[in-house]
Amino acid sequence: MERLRRDFSTITLVMIPVAIAINIAIGQLIYTLKVPLYLDSIGTIFVAAVAGPLAGMLTGALTNLVWGLSGINSFYTAFWITGAVIGLVAGLFSRFGWFKVWWRAIIAGVITGLIAALISAPILTYVNGGVTGSGTDVITAVFRNAGLGILPSAFAQGVSSDPLDKAISFFIVWGVIRALPLRFLDRFSRAEDIR
Amino acid sequence: MSTSFSLYIPRESGMHRLHPLTKLALVAFCLVLGLFLPGVWLTYLAFMLLIVPLAAWAGVLPSFLRAVFKTALPVVISVFLVQGLFWPGGTPILHLGPLSLKQEGLQFAIRSAGRFITVVSSFLLLTFTTRPDGLMLALSQRGFPNSIAYIMLATMQIVPRFQTKANTILDAQRSRGLETEGNLLVRLRALLPLVQPLLLGSIIDIEERAIALEVRAFGRPGPKTSLLVLHDTPAQRVLRWLLLLAMLAVIGWRLYLAIAPRLAA
Repeated sequence: MERLRRDFSTITLVMIPVAIAINIAIGQLIYTLKVPLYLDSIGTIFVAAVAGPLAGMLTGALTNLVWGLSGINSFYTAFWITGAVIGLVAGLFSRFGWFKVWWRAIIAGVITGLIAALISAPILTYVNGGVTGSGTDVITAVFRNAGLGILPSAFAQGVSSDPLDKAISFFIVWGVIRALPLRFLDRFSRAEDIR
Repeated sequence: MSTSFSLYIPRESGMHRLHPLTKLALVAFCLVLGLFLPGVWLTYLAFMLLIVPLAAWAGVLPSFLRAVFKTALPVVISVFLVQGLFWPGGTPILHLGPLSLKQEGLQFAIRSAGRFITVVSSFLLLTFTTRPDGLMLALSQRGFPNSIAYIMLATMQIVPRFQTKANTILDAQRSRGLETEGNLLVRLRALLPLVQPLLLGSIIDIEERAIALEVRAFGRPGPKTSLLVLHDTPAQRVLRWLLLLAMLAVIGWRLYLAIAPRLAA
């Protein structure tokens, strides 16, 4: 309970909206660059690293809820579970010091990406009919044509993009943590896990 | 609020005057219909006979339909192409060059599209007719944590500012000669100089905001007062309970349809 109160200090509660805004602003910036990535969970991963798995979960879930309910991307709302799990997993990796070394951060990102693809696939199958409405649907079509089921094809589509996306996101968060002053990081509850 | 990160449209309609929780219950009911109605066509019926009339009652129908169309179109087109044309081993009903439209795929695509349209339009109905602060106040009054309400509302105000900031950084780096167009490698290399300033600048800012909130007793427990007053009526309270029962009934019906054949066998 004490740990929970420390994880959700005022600085964390102020950080979370900023982190969600980072997720959304960079997510839309990447969209204008037309790079086949999302990078829409950098804020979530940062909060998870500095304030623990529960704060990360909350940030991830609320990102999808706010983004979806704003009306900009309504169907993101259904993927709040994926957002929450990304925050949870990133927080656990941070707990065991995986944000201290750059290559460990990248491995953590790849694993998180695989888990994210695993969580997204059933939602994608049930709510979206197995497609995302973006260019990566070509991959789904290839796997469907090869005789794979709807769920495995949706998962294959996720595996083609999520691990790379999360590896880059984790690496960026590692860089951000290095670039921030220690005095600032020390205000967060999990500062000792990342330095 | 100058620019808000929401498609909410203020109107003087009966739908808008409903208590936020009543609207939430209505939308949740539409969502349950979208997710759990059996068969291929029933979700379209729910969309036409419930969601569209509600949007019309709220006086937001044209912009609502435009938003539903914009969100649903890419996924609907894709589901018809991917599942309709690449369904493994289905019954072909129409030949298109080397590909053919499969009956099973077409049926799956129609069912999926109906579900997707109903789900998306339910969320959009809430967005178009409900003030975010009103909804958060209503939830806080029912014991929802204040801090989550703060997070949701603060985010909606911060995002537009951040998007402006992101565009400023994009322009600034372009004027310094950063290539943001060209092949994939060029665009990937542009990523870091764009993302880094946005991240560091905004994260450093939050310390001041935390202090500003602390001196205004943000972390203090106990009841808080609000400028916004919500109106509730006994009829709406009854309606909310009825909607909850209806949701359970729809889910129960679906479960029954899924289990009954197995019980009989």
